[in-house]
Amino acid sequence: MTPFLSGFMITLLFVGGVYFVAVLERCSMTGNVSWSGPARSFLLLFAQEEIKTRKHDKVFFETAPILFIGVILLTISILPFSRGSVVIDLGTGALFINAALVYIMVALLMAGWAVNGVYAMVGGWRALAQLIAYSMPVVMALTATVMRAESMFLTDIVESQQSLWNILYQPVGFILFYISALAIAFLPPFDLPVAEGELAGGVWADLTGARKLLFRLGRLALVLTLSVAVVVLYLGGWMGPWLPGFVWTFLKTLLVAASFFAVGHFIPRIRHDHLLEYNWKYGVPLALYNIFQVGVVLLL
Amino acid sequence: MELLITALIIAAVLFGIGLYGALSQTNLVMIMMGIELMLGAAMINLVAFWRFLHPDAFSLQMFVLVAMTVMALEGAVGFAIATQRFRTSGTVEMEESAELKG
Amino acid sequence: MISVQLILLIIFGLAAIWFGWRVFMTSSMVRSALSLLASMVAIGILFLVMEAEFLGVLQIMMMGTEMSIMAIFMMMYMMDPGGLGQMDMYHQKNISIAAGVIVTVFIVGAALAADWGTIATQFPGPHEQNRLLGMEILKRSMMIFETAGVTILTGMIASITVALSIKNSVEK
Repeated sequence: MTPFLSGFMITLLFVGGVYFVAVLERCSMTGNVSWSGPARSFLLLFAQEEIKTRKHDKVFFETAPILFIGVILLTISILPFSRGSVVIDLGTGALFINAALVYIMVALLMAGWAVNGVYAMVGGWRALAQLIAYSMPVVMALTATVMRAESMFLTDIVESQQSLWNILYQPVGFILFYISALAIAFLPPFDLPVAEGELAGGVWADLTGARKLLFRLGRLALVLTLSVAVVVLYLGGWMGPWLPGFVWTFLKTLLVAASFFAVGHFIPRIRHDHLLEYNWKYGVPLALYNIFQVGVVLLL
Repeated sequence: MELLITALIIAAVLFGIGLYGALSQTNLVMIMMGIELMLGAAMINLVAFWRFLHPDAFSLQMFVLVAMTVMALEGAVGFAIATQRFRTSGTVEMEESAELKG
Repeated sequence: MISVQLILLIIFGLAAIWFGWRVFMTSSMVRSALSLLASMVAIGILFLVMEAEFLGVLQIMMMGTEMSIMAIFMMMYMMDPGGLGQMDMYHQKNISIAAGVIVTVFIVGAALAADWGTIATQFPGPHEQNRLLGMEILKRSMMIFETAGVTILTGMIASITVALSIKNSVEK
């Protein structure tokens, strides 16, 4: 297949994947599958009046949604979908994932600060605490995968799983990365920054129209991006029999995304102090143990 | 050559701004920001020297890592001092902290 | 000769300088902290332009966290007026400007006057850089790196000790 055609296919599948994730999100919240629901809410937000709050911070009000979605597009551009089809193959790809995820936090902070509202600001500071805490297990779990591949190229990390997928090689790292991915995408049960029940929408409480649309789209793309990251790092990426590589990547990705929403559907929202306590007291030591364990297995 | 000089001039201007900030601000956290800018300028210099003069000497990159450590530590200790100042005197204005003045 | 690298260096250098200047020119604390973040990110991009890929990405990653923490500390201690109040936060302004300008001119003069010798054209690629930096850390500079680690531990203990609240009560 030519590179152009495969690129086109991947873009198409990605857009379709985002739509599928939107359907899944709706299903996990309301319980019924509605194939036209996301399109209708897209049009609603597209045509909605843009209400600006009093004394909002003009610069951050405009830049925060763009930063949010831009960072996610940067992350997706370094993830490999199949052998050879990756937009930018960075020599420090594994580190770059974490660097990009940090700026999700900055965008939420900016958005929460900019609208000059109490709920939004509380949501923004919550996002800061949550995402700083959960980027620690992410970077340590990434370190363990890099140790196995002996390279920071994401394609090399996928190639290193030829004999045994990382989910079996380092199950502790997989669990940590999976939970942290939930926390970084602030999906339920970790949706404290945008909690509907207690903060009336949190960071997004006062946003309407195009800005809200950018945030909603960005969150859906973020879920898909993190699912691709889980697949690339732990589930063997494009590896699988019969079908072409990118089909396997997308099948696994959609499965992981569905499992994200299934977790959120069944587990209640975690209290904020518990959220931080579990991570710093148990998550970080477990991540260090994971690095140690992988190191020992590699040396044996 | 012009690349190296450009990088050095950028670093010099950043260092000047950082020095101005660290000297002129009355607030502890703003002073720390000035110091961070100066450290950032130093790191630009180190990377420029690595890239354009000694690309085989990786102790230069090592030095940048140490400078980043210093930045993080400066942040941590500075915030601790700010917290303590705020607890004891209710403000982090440095104009009002003259207890050690002889 | 004007190369792409030079143009990028100038663009992102100007961005770093502009945002660094904005840090001290705004009266909103959050804006000030996020301007510093933008300046640091521009410095990280300068590293990427100078082909130190690992350091650039690391800088961008670390500064994102650090400057966000700075923003929350500024909010906690400085009663941010959101850019509405005019706060007077300066002292010895003329001396500071003079010091900044003199130091800048001095460094620029030194940079222009110095004989830098030959400019290297060969340098290792990103992957090779990662390997060589790891070798440097784990072989020759291992002691320095471990000292940095111990220093971080010391800094953690010191900052917690300093930030603990002093209780003047005598009852046990």
